[in-house]
Amino acid sequence: MSAVLELLLADARTPSGGHAHSGGLEAALAAGLAVAEVPGFMRARLRTVGLVDAAFAALATRAGTLEELLALDFELAARTPAEPLRRAARTLGAGLLRTACAWWPQAEPLAGYAAESALTPRPVALGAVARAAGLSPLAAARLSLYDDAATVASAAVKLAALDAAVASGWVAALAAEIDELALSARAGGPPSTCAPLLDRRALVHARAERRLFAS
Amino acid sequence: MPADPPTRALRIGVGGPVGTGKSSLIATLCRELAAVVELGVVTNDIYTDEDARFLRGQGVLPEARIEAVQTGCCPHTAIRDDISANLLAVEELERAQGPLEAVFVESGGDNLTAAFSPALADTQIFVLDCAGGDDVPRKGGPGIARADLLVINKTDLAPHVGASVERMLADARAQRGPRPVVAVSLRDGRSVAELTGWVLGELENWRAGTLVATDPGPPAPHAHTH
Repeated sequence: MSAVLELLLADARTPSGGHAHSGGLEAALAAGLAVAEVPGFMRARLRTVGLVDAAFAALATRAGTLEELLALDFELAARTPAEPLRRAARTLGAGLLRTACAWWPQAEPLAGYAAESALTPRPVALGAVARAAGLSPLAAARLSLYDDAATVASAAVKLAALDAAVASGWVAALAAEIDELALSARAGGPPSTCAPLLDRRALVHARAERRLFAS
Repeated sequence: MPADPPTRALRIGVGGPVGTGKSSLIATLCRELAAVVELGVVTNDIYTDEDARFLRGQGVLPEARIEAVQTGCCPHTAIRDDISANLLAVEELERAQGPLEAVFVESGGDNLTAAFSPALADTQIFVLDCAGGDDVPRKGGPGIARADLLVINKTDLAPHVGASVERMLADARAQRGPRPVVAVSLRDGRSVAELTGWVLGELENWRAGTLVATDPGPPAPHAHTH
């Protein structure tokens, strides 16, 4: 494995469509969340949906067959009750798969998954890509959690009057917690922690007339 | 040996600054061509789905043929650096509504450096308008200089805003060499026919396998003459 591939997958300049998503922050701010509360919002995400996503990324990294990956698709869909969030995860996963399949068109089960999965939720896609990159389940879980926090921080700069140095500092402050959560996400079966307010707001956001972000 | 016929729709990028008439132009093209070409549209609004609503409201295509993509404030990124969301939207439109023959991808209004990646648009139209100032073609940029077609739109407004269509066309031709420029007023049937004729020509080339996506590329190197 190469640590550089891990960096490449964490890099927002690697195209996967992430720039159009806010991790639910746009809807949260519209519902009255204060800017000072955004770090708490990020932490709440990490401990609930972030942990679930990270666990699925780790499981998908371990999955050696297409069948195992497709089973994870359905397991994760069952934990994602809001249709707009399943759609966002599918779009982001498909974007990542498109890029990774251009790098490694022959890698299996990655290529088979890209061709066969109708759901392509990002965590499962990320795990399949991480496996092709030779990364560990722990690295995949960490990537998933990091991306979750970084998505919110980067969207915050566009949604609120905020210095990007401050917003990226929020991610830095969560570094130790992300490391810990990644360790727990790679162990055992998939958790089912959830954040009903994120689901509810996602349904409202999908019908909002004025929005910058897809989710 | 003739090339294999394409298995997907021709993707036509439509870019240009805010308010130059991209949506109206696409609505007109759909109105003129929908009877003879299976069409779809993907819009990239900056902070609304206004353009998609406008197009649906025009009734020029079935509503399901028009898809809106959010770009998270980055219209330029979504057509150039990270085309993931747009490509997926086009592919899904084709899967759900297909087979389609051509899909217009409308960029969110942007600045003069916006250009479609050739991986997203097989051919691209850059739209300027007379009301935005008749010095804009002279300013250049990849879209003005090298888009497959440059449209100088709203020529009917030129006399009202003191703009010279002739000057705009001359400046554009100086930038573009042999690449086509059309002056369009959507109220003038002859100019609209010129526009639809260009689209049909590109579609013909696409079907024949002879259309090669050309990249307008980055802004031209900046030269100082002293």
